Amino acid sequence: GTENPASEVETGQSPPEKPKLVKCRSPGKETFTCWWEPGADGGLPTNYTLTYHKEGETLIHECPDYKTGGPNSCYFSKKHTSIWKMYVITVNAINQMGISSSDPLYVDVTYIVEPEPPANLTLELKHPEDRKPYLWIKWSPPTMTDVKSGWFIIQYEIRLKPEKATDWETHFTPKQTQLKIFNLYPGQKYLVQIRCKPDHGYWSEWSPESSIQIPNDFPVKDTSMWIFVAILSAVICLIMVWAVALKGYSMVTCILPPVPGPKIKGFDVHLLEKGKSEELLRALESQDFPPTSDCEDLLMEFIEVDDCEDQQLMPRPSKEHTEQGVKPMHLDLDSDSGRGSCDSPSLLSEKCDEPQAHPSKFHTPEGPEKLENPETNLTCLQAPQSTSGEGKIPYFLANGPKSSTWPFPQPPSLYSPRYSYHNIADVCELALGMAGTTATSLDQTDQHALKASKTIETGREGKATKQRESEGCSSKPDQDTVWPRPQDKTPLISAKPLEYVEIHKVSQDGVLALFPKQNEKFGAPEASKEYSKVSRVTDSNILVLVPDPQAQNLTLLEEPAKKAPPALP
Amino acid sequence: MDSKGSSQKAGSRLLLLLVVSNLLLCQGVVSTPVCPNGPGNCQVSLRDLFDRAVMVSHYIHDLSSEMFNEFDKRYAQGKGFITMALNSCHTSSLPTPEDKEQAQQTHHEVLMSLILGLLRSWNDPLYHLVTEVRGMKGAPDAILSRAIEIEEENKRLLEGMEMIFGQVIPGAKETEPYPVWSGLPSLQTKDEDARYSAFYNLLHCLRRDSSKIDTYLKLLNCRIIYNNNC
Repeated sequence: GTENPASEVETGQSPPEKPKLVKCRSPGKETFTCWWEPGADGGLPTNYTLTYHKEGETLIHECPDYKTGGPNSCYFSKKHTSIWKMYVITVNAINQMGISSSDPLYVDVTYIVEPEPPANLTLELKHPEDRKPYLWIKWSPPTMTDVKSGWFIIQYEIRLKPEKATDWETHFTPKQTQLKIFNLYPGQKYLVQIRCKPDHGYWSEWSPESSIQIPNDFPVKDTSMWIFVAILSAVICLIMVWAVALKGYSMVTCILPPVPGPKIKGFDVHLLEKGKSEELLRALESQDFPPTSDCEDLLMEFIEVDDCEDQQLMPRPSKEHTEQGVKPMHLDLDSDSGRGSCDSPSLLSEKCDEPQAHPSKFHTPEGPEKLENPETNLTCLQAPQSTSGEGKIPYFLANGPKSSTWPFPQPPSLYSPRYSYHNIADVCELALGMAGTTATSLDQTDQHALKASKTIETGREGKATKQRESEGCSSKPDQDTVWPRPQDKTPLISAKPLEYVEIHKVSQDGVLALFPKQNEKFGAPEASKEYSKVSRVTDSNILVLVPDPQAQNLTLLEEPAKKAPPALP
Repeated sequence: MDSKGSSQKAGSRLLLLLVVSNLLLCQGVVSTPVCPNGPGNCQVSLRDLFDRAVMVSHYIHDLSSEMFNEFDKRYAQGKGFITMALNSCHTSSLPTPEDKEQAQQTHHEVLMSLILGLLRSWNDPLYHLVTEVRGMKGAPDAILSRAIEIEEENKRLLEGMEMIFGQVIPGAKETEPYPVWSGLPSLQTKDEDARYSAFYNLLHCLRRDSSKIDTYLKLLNCRIIYNNNC
């Protein structure tokens, strides 16, 4: 009968509210199900119906199956399912008061595909011989999907994690229904889940968790493979060791080239080791030592300064060995004044603490106590600590004042140069002896490089070098007095004069040719001017040297006395 | 030196051992023959043709779905265009199977000629779609780029399908008529709503037909290449 609106209000009943279609899903592109949400029922029992019609048809159908899909659902079986066709679906809510219809839902089964989760998930631990152990996960395609014929194309996703972990390890497999997992942690319980997706559609829900316990003694690694790797690496190491042993030295020198040591032409280490000093020196000499006349740029002129008034302690630097020191020097070959023998280089060398086992031609006189003061601050031929590129010139540093035992001429103001050098050997010795003492007082840039002294340049100081140097020096006992030249610059000892003389060269017969050291101020050293002949001594105790007529040009050089050591005896 | 020579020999043997062991360990390598029919008859195998065709058809359907969703989101919200899209596809005259049973009962020749007809019938609409989308107000690049891509891939798939057809059914005539699209005027109409509705229809039909092509090809692939055992 007709409804009286008034009765609606009185009884509080009304037609049902519009239901709402929630979603439709097809699990295999062959059937589909739609679900709806009922609205308020208006206080009366309400029935719901679903009606639809297909695209291109006018006939309206009702839902063929309300049960299979659960409450508030409609299941469309294969018979009622068409692909690529639009379904217009409506749900109606009916109660005594009225009917309410939902908004129509336009559904194309092609686009609502959502499969079920994969089925039959099984986990199995496999440990084959000689291969890595793994977890074997197997499953089947979800129900209602026809994969074999190709109607339903499916992809799978598996995820697993140890029970206590937070992050899942996911694997994606297109098509296949099994998966092998390696690198599992023993003693852990693993959870595994799987889901799938059609080629065009929605992901399924995750399957229920499957779990498996990895036993504690589950081998993570494949031992046989590691044994193989170990043997292989051992073999490779053996081969490398073998190769190194065979070509060891050449490889090592290739990788670590040896630090080049100082090389001296003609210097034979073996001769040195054997102690055959003469042969060693001869070998050196054969190269081009002593420097010949064309090495003049290396050596400088030298001057002789003589003060024979104080002839205290100049033992003859000959083979004679006397307790008393004073012996005038004797110049055999030189044509100088002959007075240059006042200061014996042997005396000087004595002050230099020469070694006892000294195979040079002269002996160290024990001498008076005046000689015994080793604190003479005399620096002989400076054992060059560093070779500089500047003219390789030896310097004789003589520091007089304290050398009370030194046979200096008495008035310090007379002339500064003190020492006469017997021969190169003495010079060298002297320098060696002094090297250790006052090395620091020398002007480093003025280091020499007399070739003889190169033997010192190995950096070893001390007695051995002294010995060698003296051997390296000329072995002739020829005398030549060499007087150190007064030196302007005295870097350290202001009170004590430091005189430098530069050895120009050493002639074949052991004659020292000295250059004045001050050629820096004068400019380029005059070449080939040897001052090896004393012409006279002036009143102001200045020794005048002339170049050796045997040598080259003759010039006159006058050397003023620079300083006089105050403490000279 | 003898020791040197023997050590070199040992070294070369070890190297050989290493190489061989490497080869043995790399067991997972699969090589596909380029000319399965013999060296004098180098053709691309049918399996490769189907693999390639399935890939392209899958791709076209993905693009079409995305393009439709983009358009729907931007231009068709609340407009009810869907109601007008029913029965609007120009290819509905083709007797395409509508469910699995029908498809499985359709002979592969028929299926393949249906696929070819669909592909051919979309050449023209795709061309115009690109042109007209370019002229659309605020043409979103997501739609335009996909339209361009689909047009190109459609041509490629057509070529592949013709090759497959030639191999599966040698000597078959390829002059089957295909449905002609006549929706260009509605794409160019001045009425914006009408025009958008026309676009909606076209994109809706494209999505559907690309799905048909993709499904039929995958079905044929499993049937012909894998013998119904995918």
